[in-house]
Amino acid sequence: MLQNIITQFAFFLHGSKRYANTKELFANFLQNQDYHYKKYFDVFMIALIVVSIAILVYEVKNPVANWIDFFDIYVVTGIFFVEYLARLWVYNDWHKLVVKEHGKSKFLNRDFSLWTPTKEILKGKLKHILSPTAIIDLLAILPAYRPLRVLRIFVLFRVFKLLRYTKSINQFLSVLGSKKFELYTLLFLLLFVTATAGIAIYVFEYQSNEKINSLFDALYWALITISTVGYGDISPVTPEGRVVSMLVIITGIAMISFVTSVIVSSFSEKLTELKENRTIEELNKNDDFMILCGYGQMTRMFLRYYAKEYENRYIIIDNNKEQVEEALKEGYPILHEDASRHDVIDKFNLEYASITLLALTGSDVANIYITLNAKALSSKIRVVSRASNDNIAKKCYLAGADSVVKPSLIANRMMFVAITQPVMYKAIYAILTGQHLAQLDEINLLTHPKLVGKKIKELTIREHKLLIIGLEKGESREFIFNPSFNLTLEKGDVLLVMGRKMSIEYFKTLYTKKRKVGRYV
Amino acid sequence: MYKRKAFMFGYSSKRTFLAHQLGLNLTEFSIVVSDEESFARAKEKGYKNLYLLDVTDDEALESLEVNDNDYLICVMDDHHLNVFLTLSLHALFPKAEIVALSDSRHTSQKLKMAGASKIIDLYQVSANRIHNILHKPVTTKLIEELFNAEKEFSFREMVIPEGSKLDGVMAANFDFYPHNIILVGMIDNHLSKQFIFVTSGLENRFDSGDTLVCIGYMKDLDKFEKFMKN
Repeated sequence: MLQNIITQFAFFLHGSKRYANTKELFANFLQNQDYHYKKYFDVFMIALIVVSIAILVYEVKNPVANWIDFFDIYVVTGIFFVEYLARLWVYNDWHKLVVKEHGKSKFLNRDFSLWTPTKEILKGKLKHILSPTAIIDLLAILPAYRPLRVLRIFVLFRVFKLLRYTKSINQFLSVLGSKKFELYTLLFLLLFVTATAGIAIYVFEYQSNEKINSLFDALYWALITISTVGYGDISPVTPEGRVVSMLVIITGIAMISFVTSVIVSSFSEKLTELKENRTIEELNKNDDFMILCGYGQMTRMFLRYYAKEYENRYIIIDNNKEQVEEALKEGYPILHEDASRHDVIDKFNLEYASITLLALTGSDVANIYITLNAKALSSKIRVVSRASNDNIAKKCYLAGADSVVKPSLIANRMMFVAITQPVMYKAIYAILTGQHLAQLDEINLLTHPKLVGKKIKELTIREHKLLIIGLEKGESREFIFNPSFNLTLEKGDVLLVMGRKMSIEYFKTLYTKKRKVGRYV
Repeated sequence: MYKRKAFMFGYSSKRTFLAHQLGLNLTEFSIVVSDEESFARAKEKGYKNLYLLDVTDDEALESLEVNDNDYLICVMDDHHLNVFLTLSLHALFPKAEIVALSDSRHTSQKLKMAGASKIIDLYQVSANRIHNILHKPVTTKLIEELFNAEKEFSFREMVIPEGSKLDGVMAANFDFYPHNIILVGMIDNHLSKQFIFVTSGLENRFDSGDTLVCIGYMKDLDKFEKFMKN
């Protein structure tokens, strides 16, 4: 009976969208580093921790008001407790396991038992409870229990809890974690030398040295000496003791140098990776950004003209070390990675950001593979691929590219025009290269709503030294060349204008900002 | 058809389309190559005016009978050789017009110094093209149409003939709208001979010999050309 109710409840949860969305929201706040609003949650938790510690420190010498005590015990601890439970909740989905097991039992025609999924669930939850971070979370709740004053010391675990919300400390620990073997070896050596030196000094100095009255004193001396701190409160008085002391000092210096070199080398090894991860994290904070694959001539040219426009919203990926170094010299953000690898593109915020990927390497095969890789990860990524000829362009489209650029073809056409129609070439070249003399630009009425309902003749186009080349109708996407002056502009229309950059920019500002200057009909 | 001769230096697989188009549109079009393979490929395509010579040899280049104002198109795949060739051609035929292909900003600078009159940097144009694709989709469509081989819509340059209806008319006073074409710019033969965009504030007078660059449907451009002549 109970089993049936639980199973039905599991099925209910499994089918409930609201439950799934709520759980996802909690998981995003607690675990998803790419979630836009997580940073606000983290800042809030850090603030709570800092306040809680400040109260503890203040409390040492001063009596605190009741409301502060109340806030510390009930509000701060309450939030920590809710957070602890929420983390336990989002760690795994018990209903999924129940439903899965139920389906499996039905398929195999065997009796369904709740025990198997329950065991799995408990195992999972226990694994979470015993994880270091969850233990810290739990210990951070304990100081709220006032009858036992000793528990107040656990407030320090609230400091450790900061680890959850501060990336730099986590990164520091992860770097140290990569040298676990070396650090454990050193720790073992340290314990061994300390113990040996401590015992030796105890044997030689006990009774001769009035400050060494126990083995603990000797071990304390050994640790202080080996760490090169040397308080001087205990010092050897016998020649044997001094010899031991000299040996311990030499060993201590060697060990400190060794520890330092291990930490420094681990940081230098991981520095590039850390920097790259930080760059990706910063980029992922944007709602839209661009990934340029390959740092060849095409990318260089693109950045030369448009890097400012995409400031802090682009990254280059190249697997050639020399190219990476060149890009770094130029000051461009670059990852030394292979863009055709699944895990490289997966680092970006594919779910929430609008990403444009330019596959601009010199190899058609690489560009197609990069396109496929990106589209396989997310169909939302907009891909513009480079192709050397029409056949490759077709393959790029098949791979999912949204647009294809054929540099050779464009250059051939420009050459042809330059020779057969030299005057026209000047016009086209200026327009295609976006020279300030004459640019083709678009004015989208969605972003310039003040233009909606106006007739073209009302736009004082001539006064602004602009040419209206055409108009794309919003709904039908029909292109009207040289539209009539009596045509009324509608929402969603796109005006195609030609003019000097400054004329176009000025015209745009007239219809985006509040009118301040100029005359309007 | 254009009467000026054109010599295209280099015939790689990437330039076959260009050679084909030029061959169709120019009365005297020659291909100059420095390797047997390209020579054989061009021959196979049916080009008659073919030269196989060492492009680093000035004497061989001199034998090409290049006249003043002829086009010399430097599209060698080896960009170092392309710059060297441009320099040699400029030294040998200073009045010829050299059009060269570049693959970088630095090469463009060198080609300019070597004497190229027009330089097409394929990456510069491509970079702008990418930007247009991303931010100016309507512009991209228009440019596609302008470059389409079977275009119905185009730019066209037209020289105002003697006794034309446009002769002596102020540019600002002439309305192109009834002809369904747009004047993009012009070269005033009597003034600077520089191309002036209409958007830079055209205050010139149309005179015979001036060149107008207009944009419009092919049929409308044809009609306007007839209108100018009558």
